[in-house]
Amino acid sequence: MSSHATAHVPLMIVQNLSKHFPIRRGLLKRTVGYVRAVDDVSFTILSGETLALVGESGCGKTTTGRCIIRLIEPTDGQITYRDDDGNIIPLRQLKGQQLKDFRRQAQIIFQDPYSSLDPRMSVANIVGEPLAIHQTESGSALSDRVVQLLKSVGLQGDHLRRYPHSFSGGQRQRIGIARSLALKPRLIVCDEPVSALDVSIQAQVINLLEDLQAEHGLAYLFISHDLGVVYQISDRVAVMYVGRIVELAKTEDVFKHPLHPYTEALLSALPVPDPRKHSSRIVLEGEVANPANPPAGCPFHPRCRYAKDICKHEAPPLRSVEPEHFVSCHFAEELHLRGR
Amino acid sequence: MLSIPIPADSIFNMTTDHTSASPSVLVNGDNIIVQVRELAVQFNTMQGAVPAVNGVSFDVPAGKTLGIVGESGCGKSVTAQSILRLLPSPPARILNGEILFQRRNGEVIDLAKLQPKSPEMRSIRGNEIAMIFQEPMTSLTPAYTVGEHIMEAVKLHQGVEKREAKKRAVEMLDRVGMPQPSRTVDAYPHQLSGGMLQRAMIAIALSCRPTLLIADEPTTALDVTTGAQILDLMERLQAELGMSIIHISHNLGVIAEVADEVAVMYLGRIVEQATVEELFGNPKHPYTQGLLKSLPLVGVKRRLEPIQGVVPEPNAIPPGCAFGPRCPKFMPGKCDASIPPAFQVGPAHTTRCFLYEESSAGK
Repeated sequence: MSSHATAHVPLMIVQNLSKHFPIRRGLLKRTVGYVRAVDDVSFTILSGETLALVGESGCGKTTTGRCIIRLIEPTDGQITYRDDDGNIIPLRQLKGQQLKDFRRQAQIIFQDPYSSLDPRMSVANIVGEPLAIHQTESGSALSDRVVQLLKSVGLQGDHLRRYPHSFSGGQRQRIGIARSLALKPRLIVCDEPVSALDVSIQAQVINLLEDLQAEHGLAYLFISHDLGVVYQISDRVAVMYVGRIVELAKTEDVFKHPLHPYTEALLSALPVPDPRKHSSRIVLEGEVANPANPPAGCPFHPRCRYAKDICKHEAPPLRSVEPEHFVSCHFAEELHLRGR
Repeated sequence: MLSIPIPADSIFNMTTDHTSASPSVLVNGDNIIVQVRELAVQFNTMQGAVPAVNGVSFDVPAGKTLGIVGESGCGKSVTAQSILRLLPSPPARILNGEILFQRRNGEVIDLAKLQPKSPEMRSIRGNEIAMIFQEPMTSLTPAYTVGEHIMEAVKLHQGVEKREAKKRAVEMLDRVGMPQPSRTVDAYPHQLSGGMLQRAMIAIALSCRPTLLIADEPTTALDVTTGAQILDLMERLQAELGMSIIHISHNLGVIAEVADEVAVMYLGRIVEQATVEELFGNPKHPYTQGLLKSLPLVGVKRRLEPIQGVVPEPNAIPPGCAFGPRCPKFMPGKCDASIPPAFQVGPAHTTRCFLYEESSAGK
C-alpha cells in the first residue's frame, strides 16, 4: 500500500473533448442534426483525487465519464493518460492489446445496482470475470483473490455462490465496487454510485469509497447530481450545463464562492435538513436548454438573471479567474454570488 | 420521575380519547382535516401475510403540512394510499384503525370503513382529497391530452359542461405556471418535460380545490432546479388555496423545508413525531439520529456515521422494537421483549423508544 504516493500529479488530461450524437430521420436515415452531448470540455484528473462532475440530467456528465475510458468513442478532442511507469499514453489512438492494457487501469461503477449485474452470473463469476479476461490470476489464486476482494468491500466469502437477486441494493453496489477493484485500477469512474440507495446505506457506500481511495490511492471521477454527496467526497468540482463545463474549482471554493450564476442557482436549490436555515431558493425560469439546439452565446443566458446583451451573442470561454478557479461567464469578476 | 407511556394516538391532539372516537372529535378538535388512528394494513402474499403499516396515528391540521419521512419499504406510501383507498384489495387489507376525514359539508366520515369503489369514496377521491405521484412520466395516460385529464375531474366532480371544463383546465394550467396554457392544454404527456408534467399533475390534483393534497415524493424524479420550482409552486398554492398537505419523501432536506410537523417511519411504524424544528433540532429516536448522522451536509466535512446493517425484510420483522438489531443503544431483554409505546418527550414530541421511559414526564 505504501507505494501509492498521494502526490497529486496529473493522471489524465482531457482537452477539448466533444461527443456529438447524430440525429437520424426519414427512410434513408439521413443525419439531420447533432445532439451536442459533450461540447469542448477540458479538465485534468490528478492521481489519488476525487473530481466530481455535477449537473442536471442531460448535461453530458455520464457521456463525459464514458468517453474518458472509451466506453463510447469521442467525436473530437485529446485524452492523455500517464501510466504507472510515467509513460504518456494518447488514449484515442489505442487499439487492440494496448487498449486492453489500459482497461486494467481505468474502471467504472454504474448507477443502478439492479441492472448492472448479470442476473445469471454468480458473485464469484461477476467479480472474477475481469481477472479471467485479463488472465492475471487463475485457479485457486483467482478464487482467493475474489474472496479477498469481497472482504475488502464488506461482503463475506460465503456470498460467493449466490446470485445478484439475493442481495439488497447496497450489497449489490458493493459487488459492483469489488468488480471494479479486481484489476487494481488507478482511476474509477463512479457514475452516480449512491443515487439509487437509501440514506443509511448511501453513507455506508460513501465511507467504503473513501476508505478504498485512501488504501489504494485511487482517483475517482465522481458523477453525481447530489450536491451534499459531492461536497462530502470530492476534492474538486466541475459543474456542467448543456454539454459544457461552466465552473471548475476546489470543492470548498465552488460551494463557498461560486462564480457562475448556474452554480449559484444549483446551490440555492439544494434542500438542507435544517428548518432554521430555510434557504431562499433562486428559482430558475424555464428549462434546461436542448443540447440538439443550444441557444446562441452562453447556453445559460435564457435562464440567467444577470444576463446582458453580450451573453446572447458570445459564448464565454472557460477561463481562470482566480488561482485554480475556472469559470465560463463574461461577468465572473463583477458578480457577487451567494454560496452555501 | 414516574413513567407514563402515552398512547400513540395522542400526539398532536392530546385531548382525544380514541376509545370513544366519535365524529364530533374532529369538529371540536383544533381544525383537524384528517385524523388517522391505529391504522394497520397488511398484504396477503404467497409467503403469508406481510404487515406494511402498523399502529399508525397522526392528525393533519387544516392548512398545514405533515411530512412523512422514511426509507424504502417503511410504509409511507402505503399509509398515503390507504387514505385514498387506492391499494388493490386483495392483496392489501386494512386490518384495523380509523381514517376520519372532515368533509367540506362538515360531515366526518371514516374512510377506512368505506368500500374503495363506493359512491362516497369516489366523490371524495380526486375531489376533496387529491394526490400527486412520484413519477409524472408514468402517472398520466399517454392517450389523453393534459387538458382531458383535468376536464375529466372537473366534469365528474363539479358537473360542468365540456366548454366550461376546458376553460377551467386552461385557468388551472396557468395557475401552476405552465407556459402557454391555452396550447399545452391540448398537449399529450409525451410532448412535455418531467417538470412540466409534474406541473400538469398538480393542476389535475388541484382542479377541484381539494382540502387535502397527498404528495408522494413529488420532486424525487426531478432535477434539482426543477424540483425547487415544484416545491416553490406547492408552497405558493398552499398559501393561496389553504389546503392541507401530506408530503411523503425519503429526502430529509425536502421535509425540513416543507413540513410543519414530521413523522418518521421505520418498518411500518411511526417511531418519532414532532414539529419540524423539534425533530431536526432535538431528534430523540436512535433511528432519526442515525439518519441525520448518515446524511452528507454541505459545509460540514466529517466522517459519515451510517446506521449499521440493513432494513430487514417485511416478513421477518424482529420482535419488540423493529429497529433493535441496528440500534447502537439496544438494551437486551428490554427492546426485544415488547414494542415500545410512544413516550412524550416534549410538548408536541413523541417517540417510540424505551430510552425515554424514565425521563418522559406524565402529562
